[in-house]
Amino acid sequence: MRKVAVIGAGMTRFVRRALETPKELSWEAARMALESCELTMDDIDAVCFGTAPDAFDGVHMNGEYASDGAGGWRKPFMRSYVGGGTGIFVPIQGWYHVASGMFDVVLVVAEEKMSSYYPHAQAAFLTIFDHTTERPLGPNLLWIFALEMNRYMSTYGLKKEDIARVAVLHKRNAAAHPCALLGDANITVEDVLNSEVLAWPVQRLDVSPVSDGAVAIVLAAEHVAKRLTDKPVWIEGVGWHLDTAYWTNRDLVYPRYVEYAARMAYEMAGIKEPRKEIHIAEPYDPFDYKALHHLEGLQLAPRGRAIELYLDGTAERDGDLPICPSGGLLGVGNPIAAAGLMKIAELFWQLRGEAGERQVPGNPRRGVAQAWGDLMQVGTVVVMGR
Amino acid sequence: MTFLERDPLAPQAWFGNLPAAHRYTYGLAGERFFRALKDEGKILGSYCPKCDRTYVPATAFCERCLGELTDWRDMGLVGELHTFTVLYVDVEGRPLETPQIVGLVSFGDGGIVHFLHADPESLVIGMPMRAVLKPPHERQGSILDIQYFEPFQA
Ligand SMILES: [Zn+2]
Repeated sequence: MRKVAVIGAGMTRFVRRALETPKELSWEAARMALESCELTMDDIDAVCFGTAPDAFDGVHMNGEYASDGAGGWRKPFMRSYVGGGTGIFVPIQGWYHVASGMFDVVLVVAEEKMSSYYPHAQAAFLTIFDHTTERPLGPNLLWIFALEMNRYMSTYGLKKEDIARVAVLHKRNAAAHPCALLGDANITVEDVLNSEVLAWPVQRLDVSPVSDGAVAIVLAAEHVAKRLTDKPVWIEGVGWHLDTAYWTNRDLVYPRYVEYAARMAYEMAGIKEPRKEIHIAEPYDPFDYKALHHLEGLQLAPRGRAIELYLDGTAERDGDLPICPSGGLLGVGNPIAAAGLMKIAELFWQLRGEAGERQVPGNPRRGVAQAWGDLMQVGTVVVMGR
Repeated sequence: MTFLERDPLAPQAWFGNLPAAHRYTYGLAGERFFRALKDEGKILGSYCPKCDRTYVPATAFCERCLGELTDWRDMGLVGELHTFTVLYVDVEGRPLETPQIVGLVSFGDGGIVHFLHADPESLVIGMPMRAVLKPPHERQGSILDIQYFEPFQA
């Protein structure tokens, strides 16, 4: 397999309700990514596009519908969709387009416009549940996460005020992100604990906001990347993995789907001790407890102890293992597919030393980004390094 | 035979639905295109000088080069009949009392799909067709602000 580098990235602001259509959001991100590495559509051999449920944008076959904005015109074009995991899966798809030798330069775009769903995007999830055993109860995702969070907290004796530290750190980090929706340099644990209870133990500020936005990156084969940039950031390992389709049969305390995806990516990257060899982590954080869950699945903390990374300062931007220096989904926002690719873009900027106010000190050399989705059972992982 | 014909031997089933309501923004280009249609009664296109293409309805960007399109043009209300069909059944397969004509009327390098008011026998591909708009006070910024297209004689 050929080596593949990220050579450019661009992203729109993440907002609650964008004027732009899905096509236009995709176009803005794609154009920024191309401009960042001084390429035009003539240089692009293929396009990979990621967008999560069609229901949000309200256009069936949304990937194909928005393809013009992503640069899909008269190119080999493929949309991938693994729910929330899409934003980390679509760069994996781009990676194998290039690693396989089929294409030298690939544009990867992820877009989500969640504000179209009316009255609220949560309703789009009503229909992901089994139509005979669950849907008659009128379930929504908050139920599932509240049930899982309670199980996780109870198993390890974790406290709400400790888990709130995750939301606080990520939202504070996001204050330095120019595209962020919910950055807040002064937010406190009390703010989180005093926010509206949605489905106990999940409160308003434990959850990432519904948003609109798009992100794009450019991938290139080694011989092209070395010609185009002095600072390629290599995709060193990729992994994805699916757990059971029944959320009721899954281990709610420990995400196997992340562990197996991470092990696949680490093996490819030659990583034996992730905690020592990874310098920045962007775990998927749609909920604060989920970041902890995922850090454990990523083998960056022992089971039930990821919270310690937050309590002792390890997770902070200048800590030993900065976590979500971007601000994550909790702070930057959560336009589903775009949110995952935002994490890849963040690692690209961080590893090149171009993250501005968000820059992690000490010339970080390697990072991991992860997302999770489908029917809450897929893990997607990418390891990047320079 | 209709689309809804039932098979008496089909397995037992129960009903559910996928509720979906949406509130779509017009977008960067749509805001301008539909405002011009509503307020000025104009059909606008946007031109890409690099690719020499005129997009109708106007778009914010060129799908070929991803360049931003800033050269917006009034395309007039008369386009060319590119193709048409005559509908004899509705979406559920029931016969229509009066057959309905749907056509694609080209403008620039794009075009608009709409209803045609004409005797089907009189339609010839390539003929000029004119958009008939609703009166200004009834327009809402919708593609239905165009009521239909009809054959046009200069
Ligand atoms: Zn063009």
